[in-house]
Amino acid sequence: MKNLLRAAAVAAATALALTACGGGSSTNSSDVSPTGEMKPHEISWLLSRPADGAVINIMKKLADEYAADHPGFKLNLITTPDRPSYIQKLETLAAANKLPELFDTDATPFAQQLAKQGKMLDAEKLLKSLDIYGNYRPGALDYQRFDDGSLYMIPFQFELEFMWYNKALLAKAGVAVPKSLDDIPAMCTALRSKGITPIAIDGQDQWPLERYVAYQPFREAGPGFVQKLKKGDAKFSDAAGQKTVNWMAELGKAKCFQDGFSAQGYSDAQNQFTSGQAAMYNIGTWELPSLATDKLNPAVRNDVDFFTLPTTAGSVTAANEFVSPSGIGMAVNAKTYDPLVSDFLKFALKKYPAQYAATGALSPTTDVQTTVPANATPLFQKALDQAKDLGSKQAMPWDTQLDPTTNGRLQQELVLLVQGEVTPQQFTETLDSTIAQNAPKFFK
Amino acid sequence: MLPNRSRTSVLVFLLPPLLLYGAAVLFPILQSLFLSFFSWNGISEMEFVGLANYIRMFVGDDIFWRAFLNALIYLAICLVLQLGGALAVASLLTSLRRGRELIKTLYLLPAVISTVAIAFLFVRIYSLEPVGLLNQLLHWIGLGSLERPWLSDVNTVLAAVSAPEGWRFTGLYMLIIYAALLAVPKELEEAAVLDGASRWTLFSKIRFPYIRPVWITTTIMATTYGLRGFDIPYLMTNGGPGQSSELLTTYMYKTAFTSTDFGYASTISVFIVIECLAAVGLILFLLKRKADA
Repeated sequence: MKNLLRAAAVAAATALALTACGGGSSTNSSDVSPTGEMKPHEISWLLSRPADGAVINIMKKLADEYAADHPGFKLNLITTPDRPSYIQKLETLAAANKLPELFDTDATPFAQQLAKQGKMLDAEKLLKSLDIYGNYRPGALDYQRFDDGSLYMIPFQFELEFMWYNKALLAKAGVAVPKSLDDIPAMCTALRSKGITPIAIDGQDQWPLERYVAYQPFREAGPGFVQKLKKGDAKFSDAAGQKTVNWMAELGKAKCFQDGFSAQGYSDAQNQFTSGQAAMYNIGTWELPSLATDKLNPAVRNDVDFFTLPTTAGSVTAANEFVSPSGIGMAVNAKTYDPLVSDFLKFALKKYPAQYAATGALSPTTDVQTTVPANATPLFQKALDQAKDLGSKQAMPWDTQLDPTTNGRLQQELVLLVQGEVTPQQFTETLDSTIAQNAPKFFK
Repeated sequence: MLPNRSRTSVLVFLLPPLLLYGAAVLFPILQSLFLSFFSWNGISEMEFVGLANYIRMFVGDDIFWRAFLNALIYLAICLVLQLGGALAVASLLTSLRRGRELIKTLYLLPAVISTVAIAFLFVRIYSLEPVGLLNQLLHWIGLGSLERPWLSDVNTVLAAVSAPEGWRFTGLYMLIIYAALLAVPKELEEAAVLDGASRWTLFSKIRFPYIRPVWITTTIMATTYGLRGFDIPYLMTNGGPGQSSELLTTYMYKTAFTSTDFGYASTISVFIVIECLAAVGLILFLLKRKADA
C-alpha cells in the first residue's frame, strides 16, 4: 500500500512537472537561429494547396532528399485544398493550441492575432538569416505582410490575375477591349444583345465576385482604401465606396455574369469560357496550363487573349498595378521551431525556386527563370512577361483583409446587389453597420 | 417490482450507456451553455459578457431571425414531403400485390446515398446554365416560362434546398409507417368493410388511430432531424444567395468556424437545443390531446 501511495505521488509530481514544461516553454517569434542538438524527427505542414500541385510535389521531393541525409526525418503534408474547410481546421487547431510545425495562412486579421501572441516566427528575420530575403520579389513579400509591414509568412508562388477574353465574341458584338472599368457595363449590354454570356464567374466560391468589388476603390483611392475600410476608418458611403457599390449594381443590371452564377462552381465558369459561350473570365496565372497551352479547346485557342485590370479616369494606381498575389503563405510555428525545422527550411527554401520555375510557374523569387512548357501557346510567354514590369502597388483581395464576419456578410450581400435584390443604398447601410459592429473586435 | 439482484444488474447494464450519453451529448450541451456567456474567438482570453450574446441574438441580429424563419419553412417542407409522402406511399404499398420489395428498395435508396452526392446531384438538376433536368422538363412540357436558376433565385432557393432533404428520407419513414400499417389487424378492417366503411373512413377511423404511436415517434424523429438540417443546404448554397437559404444551423456553424465567434455561436446552439425540446414537447402535447379527445 505504501509503495502504491509513493508511486501515485511520483506520478502526480511528474505530471505536474510535465505540465509546467508544456505551459512554460518560452516562445520567441524573433529567435530564428535556435541552438541545441539537431534530432531528426517527423514534422508536419498543414496546408491548403492542390494535392497534386507543383508546390506539394516539389516539397515532397525535397523532403525525401533531406530525409536521405537525416534518417528519422519526415515531412508530413496534410492538405485541405478547399479553403473555407481549411480555415476552419486551422482556427480549431489554433484554439486548441495544437498547430503543427508549419501551417498555411493568408495575412488575415486572425493570423495577425496569432503573430501578436508570438505563435509565428518572424519570416523576414528568418529569410534574412538564410540570406535569401533579397531574392524574393518585393511584391511577393508585400502580399504576405500585415498592415504594419511585418512579415510572418513565406510565399511559394507568384501569380498575376488577368481578364481573359474571347476576341471573336467581342468582335461579334462589335465591342472593343474595355479601356476603363467604367466601360464594362456597356460591353456586357452589347454582348447580351447578341446572346453571348459576357463574363463567366465562379459564384459558389464567393471570392471571385469579391475581386470585382476591390477594383474600383483600388483605382479610385489606391490600396489604402481597404486598409481603412476594414477598420471602419473609411466607409462604403465614401466616394470610393459608393463608386464600387454603384458599379457592382450596374454590372448586375447589365447582366454581366451568367444566369444563376451564384450556384455555379469553379469548373462550370471555366468551361463556359473555354467552350466559347462566355466572352470574359477573370483568373490568375495558375490557370496558364489550361488557358495558354494546347490543352485549351482548339475551337477558341486562337481567339483567347487577356488584358490587365483596366484603369479609370483619374485613377491613382497605374495600369501595371493590379492583383498579383503570392498565394497562401507558409507560417512557421514559433513554439515548435527547433534546429531541425530551421535546418530543413534552409535546405528546402534554397532549392525550391529553381524546381518550381521549371514547372512553368512564376517563382516568388527573381533568381530563377520560368521554363515555358513545350505545348505552350504564345500567350504563355506574354503572361510571364507581365511580371517583369509591375508597379509597386498591388490590389489586395478583400477576403484576406476584412474581418471574417464582415467578409462573410459582404460576400452574401454582393450577390444580392448584383442580382438586384438589394439597392446600392441598402447594401451600403448593411455593410457599414456590419463593419462598425465587427471591426473593433479584430483591429483593436 | 424487480428483485434486488436484477435491479443491480439493470443498473450495471444501464450505467455505461448513460455515462457515454452524458459525455457525448449532455456535456457538450452544458459546455455550450457555459460558453454562451462569454466572448471568445478561440485564441483570445475568454471574456465574460453575461447575457450580452442573448440580447444580441434576440434584438440585435437580423440574420438570426431570418435564419429562424427559414428553418421553420425548411422544416415544414421537409415534414410534408417526408411524413405526407411516406404515409401516402406506405398506404399505397399495402394495396399492392406485386413488386412491393422493389418499390420499397427504390424509395429507400436515397437514404443510403451520401449527402455530398445528393447535394451535387441536385445542384445539377436545378441548374440553368448548362440547363439541368428540372428546367429541361419544364421546357418539354411547355412550361418554359417557369425555367429559372432555382438555386440563385431568392424566391425559390429555400424550397429548392428543402426538397432534396425531404426526398431523401421519405423512403425511410415510409418503411417505418409501412411496418406499422402491416400490423393493423386484418379482421378489424374486414369487419369495417362489411359494415360498409369507405376507404377514407377505414383509414381515418381504423388504420391511423392504430398506427398513432408509431406516427408520433416518426413525427418527432422527422421534426428533430428537420430542425437540425444542415448538410444539404450548406453544400448546395452555403446559405445564399444572401441569407435566402440560411438556416439556424448553417448560421451557427459559420459564426463559430468562419467568424470564430465561439461565444455567440454557442448562444445560437443553446437556442437550437431549446427549440428542438420545445418542438418535441409540442408534438407530444398536441398528439396526446387528440388521442384523448
